[in-house]
Amino acid sequence: MNKVSLVIPSRVYVLHLAVFGVFLAGALWLITSLFAAGLVPLGSALSGIVVFLALIFLRRKFTPLRWLAISIALALLFTLYPLLYTLFLSVTNMGSGHLMAKQQALARYESELYLPAEGETYRWAAYQAGEGVYALWLIGEDGTGRLAVPGAALRTAEAVEGAGALDADGFPESLAGYERLPLNRTVPLLSQLSAIDFGEAPDAIRIRSLREAAALQPRYRYDAAQDALIDLETGAVYRPIEGTFTSEMGDELPVGYIDFVGLRHFQNFLGSEGFREPLISMLLWNISFAFCSVLFSFGVGLVVTLLFEDLPGKRVIRALLIIPWPIPVLISILIWRSMLNPDLGFVAPVLEAIFGASPEWFSNPLWTRVAVILVNIWLSYPYFYVITAGAIRSIPGEIYDAAVVDGAGGWNKLYHITLPLLLRVMMPLLIASFTFNFNNFNVIYIFNFGNPPMPNTIVPMGYTDILISFVYRLAFISSNITNYGLAAAITVLLFLLVSVLVIVQLRFTRLFKEAV
Amino acid sequence: MSQTREFPVSGVRRAQSRLPRKVLGMFIRYLIAVILILFAVIPALWIISASLNPAKSLIGGTFFPQNPGFINYEQLLSNPFFPYVIWLGNSLKIAIITTALTVFLTSLSGYTLSRFRFTGRRTLMMAILVLNVFPSILGMVAIFSMLQQLGAFIDWLGLDGHAALILIYVTGSSGINVLLVKAYIDTIPLELDESALVDGATPWQTFRHIVLPVMTPIVITIGVLTFIASYGDFVIARVLLKSSENLTVMVGLQLFQTDRFDQDFGMITAGAVIAAIPIILIYIPLQKYVIDGLTAGSVKG
Repeated sequence: MNKVSLVIPSRVYVLHLAVFGVFLAGALWLITSLFAAGLVPLGSALSGIVVFLALIFLRRKFTPLRWLAISIALALLFTLYPLLYTLFLSVTNMGSGHLMAKQQALARYESELYLPAEGETYRWAAYQAGEGVYALWLIGEDGTGRLAVPGAALRTAEAVEGAGALDADGFPESLAGYERLPLNRTVPLLSQLSAIDFGEAPDAIRIRSLREAAALQPRYRYDAAQDALIDLETGAVYRPIEGTFTSEMGDELPVGYIDFVGLRHFQNFLGSEGFREPLISMLLWNISFAFCSVLFSFGVGLVVTLLFEDLPGKRVIRALLIIPWPIPVLISILIWRSMLNPDLGFVAPVLEAIFGASPEWFSNPLWTRVAVILVNIWLSYPYFYVITAGAIRSIPGEIYDAAVVDGAGGWNKLYHITLPLLLRVMMPLLIASFTFNFNNFNVIYIFNFGNPPMPNTIVPMGYTDILISFVYRLAFISSNITNYGLAAAITVLLFLLVSVLVIVQLRFTRLFKEAV
Repeated sequence: MSQTREFPVSGVRRAQSRLPRKVLGMFIRYLIAVILILFAVIPALWIISASLNPAKSLIGGTFFPQNPGFINYEQLLSNPFFPYVIWLGNSLKIAIITTALTVFLTSLSGYTLSRFRFTGRRTLMMAILVLNVFPSILGMVAIFSMLQQLGAFIDWLGLDGHAALILIYVTGSSGINVLLVKAYIDTIPLELDESALVDGATPWQTFRHIVLPVMTPIVITIGVLTFIASYGDFVIARVLLKSSENLTVMVGLQLFQTDRFDQDFGMITAGAVIAAIPIILIYIPLQKYVIDGLTAGSVKG
């Protein structure tokens, strides 16, 4: 008997299985719900991730991937999927009025009810149980009484307990927990009462007039055969055109669904005059902003390093110069915003005292651009200072000794040794910094929201807007119409531009060679 | 200065002219130092001064307040319309959870990538590197829309919740940090953990008791960087969070500032000063780790 060996799973393994089982059940429920709602991209992505996790965790043998699984799953969901989903969005019409899948939009219309002008009606009386809580007693055309309260099924008179004797009109004079409202108190409540759906869908009752109440009926019916939504109240037939339900008369229903529009967004901003020109000027500014930011931040950092590294008191100087570094970016920008504010800041009075005038830092396109670059230099030169100082210190002293022997002076050493070596070390950093500043939303948006606005553009754009802040404007700001599709299309353009930078950068990156 | 070059001079005169030249050079360098220090320091001093200024608004703002006091701070902390204390609490909570999760996941992942050989390892590292060079802000439209869809089914994972925000931060800061940890563990001698494995320790025990204690410096570096980044983030929180009591302090301050700049200028400056304190408290003692991390992981500006 002792010889019989059973494979007994360890307690830890059983625990793993249990936890994973719960996770799996939840995930499956979520995925089915997503597919049922027509959200195919997200459903598919989650399915892929769950299959991946299942493959790793259900193998009993330890595999190294198990320890990477959560990180990989997160990266797939929050880094890779958004990238692919952006591509998907860029060829759709997603935006205001087009936020859900077709099934969701149809379900929404099919649950919409209306009060028909004809059909069976009820006489009614109102009862009140406290502030804003009402019930109706309904008497049908056949004379049967029913109690209707919001959010619950109708109850026949027999099923209602605590109903008192009926009055001449057939309504109970009292109702347990409720107070009967006489006509003179019902009239002022009429508009309030007629906004309430009594009963429960699909048997919801609404008041039509002081005398009549009637059952609400579904307003729309979807006819799958001809792919059309029929308005039962007016008889109009709405057919989907690019995700918008449109009638033969050209009327559009407010809620549409996400549909493909092909490359229309790309054609829009590459092809249409009104779009292309401001967009090109925005791109040029975007590049100059990133370039100037990197150049001047690096420049200041370099000058500071070269000038002060052998100066007595350099530790104090250094400590003071990197003060901007630890201050959170948002706060730094808010500080500059207040300092430059013409009414509240101290810069305007000082400049006016010296030069007799102060630039309009927030409304003049040129000066606002100068201001954001200035702020950005303040934010980023300490970083370059610290890095440059470290890099210069790491240049071996023998190289300089050899140069001195060859008769090189200070400038020669700087030109022929320090700068070339430094640039080689700093190149990946400079390119990374360019990429970062190319998408430096914070400085642009927090300082002045991308304003001052450009006049006469098709969609709102500002003179200091860079592409990413324009994307933000399109997707989240334009208070009336948001256009995720167009925003995504511009993001795709940004991805392409950044990719070029990334490829250049990877050629220089030490970390890349080390890692792979 | 050019005179010395135009007129060849004797050795004695050259020695004489060198001293004033050196003094002049020093003077110019100190002058530049002072100008740059003013550029660096004035904004920081100004915000502190403004926060101590009891005047409601600083028309034509003076740099030194007349009778400084903490009234702006008192008003800020008791302001019913802008729940500043809640915002600060949200920010700290989010930053701490993000940091803990990031440190845990990156240590484990970095260890795995450094010590185990499995198919797809190189591809995986390449993918991490490439994916993470794209600024996460480029995904904001897609992430917003994704969370809108998820939130319809799982409430706490949707927009306006902290869970999704934390997961996005963790993902964002994990990528490059995993490679940093991996590079660090590569420098730890392999014999150290191999002997433990030979003695029959499980991979987890080896990691927990042998490798983790040795990698404390990189763990601190990553912790500090992650905390600073997640506490200071503006844009992702701005896109995801909506209701006032869920905002982080950075988003709250920005909205506060946009809405009521003129009226509550003093309170806003006080809020800015308080919000900067946690970062400065962490930064000063741990500066070395920040610099190490940024120098090594300079891929993400």
